[in-house]
Amino acid sequence: MKLFKIGLRIWIMLTSVLSFLAGWIMLAHAPKPVQNSSPSSSNIAPLPTLPPLSGLNSGNNQNSWNLFQNSPLSVQPQVQQPVQPSIQTFNNSAPMPRMHTGGS
Amino acid sequence: MQTLEFRAMNTLIFMAAEGDDQAISGLQAARAFIEVSESRFSRFLPTSELSELNRSAGKWHKVSEDLMELLTLSLKYFDETGGLFNPSILPDLKRAGYDKSMEKIRAEGADPVFGKYHSTSLALTDIDFDQTAIRVRLPSSMEIDLGGIAKGWIVEKASNLLRTYASACAVSAGGDINLVGIPSSGSRWEVELEDPRNPDRSAALLYVGQCAVVTSSITKRTWIQNGQVRHHLIDPRTGEPAKTDWLSVTVITPKITEAEAYAKALLIGGELEAYKMASKFPELAYITIDRDGCLSGSQYGKEYLNDYDHVFNQ
Repeated sequence: MKLFKIGLRIWIMLTSVLSFLAGWIMLAHAPKPVQNSSPSSSNIAPLPTLPPLSGLNSGNNQNSWNLFQNSPLSVQPQVQQPVQPSIQTFNNSAPMPRMHTGGS
Repeated sequence: MQTLEFRAMNTLIFMAAEGDDQAISGLQAARAFIEVSESRFSRFLPTSELSELNRSAGKWHKVSEDLMELLTLSLKYFDETGGLFNPSILPDLKRAGYDKSMEKIRAEGADPVFGKYHSTSLALTDIDFDQTAIRVRLPSSMEIDLGGIAKGWIVEKASNLLRTYASACAVSAGGDINLVGIPSSGSRWEVELEDPRNPDRSAALLYVGQCAVVTSSITKRTWIQNGQVRHHLIDPRTGEPAKTDWLSVTVITPKITEAEAYAKALLIGGELEAYKMASKFPELAYITIDRDGCLSGSQYGKEYLNDYDHVFNQ
């Protein structure tokens, strides 16, 4: 039994060393990756820009959610127009107006 | 139904009230209240109570009960938001170019600044309060801008006043809305959420009951300083206009001053702080819109969105 254990240890040690050496040799003889000096000299076509996903996404927080909408970004200083105070009267059956929120 | 539109507090005021002649009287009373209140809490008027308070920094100063209420509320929200809501950023805001009214900035341009920014905002907890004598003492270098929270407070009081003349009413100051009662034509109010990238476009439709809806945005009060677009939301941690994850944050709460404070704090704090606040206040309802038009927010915020599949597939 003791002899068997010693043999097993030697076998495991030898296969480990041989496997390591085999891997080393394979990597040493593997082709090197191509080094590009600039993106324009590359033969690889540029990757297309993907549009944002549409639909429901879950964030890290289980209480949060995300929805996506496509539209170009354009943040410009906004100019406010003067408004004259005026009361507008509607008939009784007119529904209350839809309100708007967007910051001020 | 009667409506009234006019300009005050550097923004467009829109009020609607159910009823006939009495509602008209209510609209006129609410408008008068708003105009008087603006003259009390505007930092641009040297005779306002707020300007007097700022000039008194370092000394005990007797204030009105209303101003004491506003300062006490500010302190409460300062604590709750971990200091992200901080009205003592006024020196930084002036340095960023917002040292005169928005109309004047747009007409005359903002003064340039040189050198690196550094925050001068102080903790609101440094203010001494004497509730018995109704007086306060600001630290000697502190200046306060009650801006948004004063606007919310004025809208709340004006809508409560208007409600005494009408069965249901709405008061909006540039989109910061207080809705009182429920319209007789339906069971809820409809509120369009503006796309911050294009104010003519609606990003979503909210269906809400009696509540406050407030949006804080970095695309509205903007100006050019040193060739850069600046905005009015100062990050108290840096003293500069906040670099935000989102373009706008909308908060829906029962109380409008709370919505004002949290909308600002969430926009300044971004996702990380929103996560912390949502953990602390799981019932907080908010909706954010980022630069790509992506809507996100808390679970309670989502529940106010109407038919979002339709809205987002258009």
